[in-house]
Amino acid sequence: MKKPLKVIMMIVIVCLVSSFVLTAQGEEEQAGPVSFEFWTTETQSDRMATIQVLVDTYEILNPDVKINLVPVEEDDMATQLQTASAAGNLPALIEIGAENAVAFGSDGLMDTVRNSELIDMIGEEEFYSGALRLVASGAGENYAIPFHGWIQGIWYRADWFEEAGLEPPTTWENIEKAAEYFYNPKENQYGILVGTTAEGYTEQCFTQFALSNGAQLFDKDGNLIFNSPEMREAVEYYAKLAQYNPPGPQTWRARDYYLQGKMAMFFYSTYIMDDLSLQEKAAGSLTGENFEELAGSDFDPDLVTHTQMVPLITNTDTAGYGVIVTLGIINQPDAAAADAAVDFARYLYTPNAYITFLHMAPGGMNPVLKGIASNERFQNDPQGIFKHYGADKMSEINTGMNDIVTFSIVDGNRITDASTITTKQIIPQMLYKVTQEGMDIDAAMNWAESEMKKLID
Amino acid sequence: MRQSLTLEQKKARLGVQLVLPSVIVIGLLIIYPVAYNMYLSMFKVNLVGSNTFIGAKNYTNIITDITFWQSVLTTFLYVVFSTFGTTLFGLIVALAMNKKFPLRMIVRSIIILPYVAPVIAIVYAWQFFFDPVNGIFIHVVVEMLGLYDQRFNLIGTPEYAIWVAIIFSIWKSFPFTYLMIIARLQTIDTTLYEAAEIDGCSSWKKFLHITFPELYFVLGTLILLRFVWNFNKFEEVYLLTENVKTLPIYTYFKAFTGVMDLGQGSALAVIQFVLLIGLILVYVKKVLKW
Repeated sequence: MKKPLKVIMMIVIVCLVSSFVLTAQGEEEQAGPVSFEFWTTETQSDRMATIQVLVDTYEILNPDVKINLVPVEEDDMATQLQTASAAGNLPALIEIGAENAVAFGSDGLMDTVRNSELIDMIGEEEFYSGALRLVASGAGENYAIPFHGWIQGIWYRADWFEEAGLEPPTTWENIEKAAEYFYNPKENQYGILVGTTAEGYTEQCFTQFALSNGAQLFDKDGNLIFNSPEMREAVEYYAKLAQYNPPGPQTWRARDYYLQGKMAMFFYSTYIMDDLSLQEKAAGSLTGENFEELAGSDFDPDLVTHTQMVPLITNTDTAGYGVIVTLGIINQPDAAAADAAVDFARYLYTPNAYITFLHMAPGGMNPVLKGIASNERFQNDPQGIFKHYGADKMSEINTGMNDIVTFSIVDGNRITDASTITTKQIIPQMLYKVTQEGMDIDAAMNWAESEMKKLID
Repeated sequence: MRQSLTLEQKKARLGVQLVLPSVIVIGLLIIYPVAYNMYLSMFKVNLVGSNTFIGAKNYTNIITDITFWQSVLTTFLYVVFSTFGTTLFGLIVALAMNKKFPLRMIVRSIIILPYVAPVIAIVYAWQFFFDPVNGIFIHVVVEMLGLYDQRFNLIGTPEYAIWVAIIFSIWKSFPFTYLMIIARLQTIDTTLYEAAEIDGCSSWKKFLHITFPELYFVLGTLILLRFVWNFNKFEEVYLLTENVKTLPIYTYFKAFTGVMDLGQGSALAVIQFVLLIGLILVYVKKVLKW
């Protein structure tokens, strides 16, 4: 019995010694090149390939840096970061929506010092001030660096509106009038698409209405004022508009009905621009060839010219909505990795790398740097989408970055709790209850208010 | 000088040594995560830095939310009907497939398909099928048959959505139940049926007095397993229709959207665990009589 025990002990000791030697060698190797992870939310394979080219180019220019590109779905970002944080292997750089960057930043995850330094390096005056405002911490620092963005608006059939003698959907009154006019469910035609599922799209549509009615979540001192007459009015109006939606709860995917000629208006970001103008992009949304029996339609090459976009909505106030996607350096102990990430992020803002990145989704990814919007190379996207819309429309979209409003900034003050509420999707859940479950508006707003209070307590 | 052990003591020591590895594995993989989860449920878990002890606040937050109680009710509806439906449908199909008929082997293989097909593919197929604007189902019932005068969203509308989710679950899961039951059916001694026939028993009486008692524990176990699986089911329900807010989906919205709230998530997991364990204990004692 004793001999096998000795043999086992010997094996264990040999294993332990070997592992120490290997670990020591590993540490020696790590002392050389710096490596870090870059988490991107551009998870589609073609976009990953483009970003990988940028990474490879940077690595050739900087042989001491090794970047591991990791695709992470935006919705999974929080979970993944939490797990990585617990495991002690956080990425050095992430690409993330501004609201999430603020929410994570207020939890101490973002390296505000390095992010602010990077903005200084690029030049604060180079950015659209509206975009920069969305990432400011309120303490003179920035949670992240604006990278690109899209603006939202109502895309509508201008030819139908003209024929019907209706005004463009710029005001509450015009929108409701047109939605009602074009709503004809017996003919499988619908007036408008506003989000009614419990998800981000619904919040995006609603935010623009709420802010155009002067409704806020918080006052400038950070007191919750969600349950206000203005907000109630916005919820009531939104529920009325939702009646002219296609049947049942709807999300952004229902934009396909517009491409099929079955809807007059829909809320969408500038990401729709390629679907409207390029047949191969729109193909996935059209059912004409798949179900000939159904009232689907083929690609309408004139749709792009028949479509107009209204970026601002007016009631008591005027409001535009959009999302700024940011790059953020993560707070972490490995200073070398963080510095390398800053340098790589700086490289991504150089004109060639930046335009290459933005051209992955022309119209969807718009520059936050003023100089790039007027850059000739940027204006000539490889797919020719910008030409379909013309310089004036593109200029309107780019400068729209300055008009983005959000619940998380009130009179210039940063309200981080508003970002937390946004990411928790309490408002879309409330709107779902009202529009789909038929909950009384006051009861739904009371429910939402109590959930918000629990969150910010 | 060491005192030599008695035979009884040696046996006891051997017993402990044999059981110890299992105890360690179970302790590490089951007891520790459950205990840690309970511990975590009393904290506000921060993304960075140490956690803050908040006592039972996570629990009070949950039980004061009316949506939580609605989700408990939805969960019971979903679990009871889908479990009952799956078992009944599996039983009927198994009884039918136990009879001899031409091409039985092919039919038996085809029946398995819903169970083995990837959830994501089937879910999207169902969504396209029931799409209110382009779906073939609505096209047939509204445009072709004229059964309804306007289009509706069968999967999305809250009052219908739970029934669609239940039917989907039954359709997707019944092949497993069918397989287990048919395996047991084939082991029942045929002489029992022959004797019953000599005694003049009808088909119903043969089922009631021979088949059902023979299947009792298989059915009992299948119901128990299906109950547990459906109670914790997330992907199938969420992907098909997120309107059906069962407890796992409520947990997802409460704890995992936006910035994760692990404390809240842990508290919900504890509540779900307690509910499930309680129901299983009652079931095992009353139905399975173990």
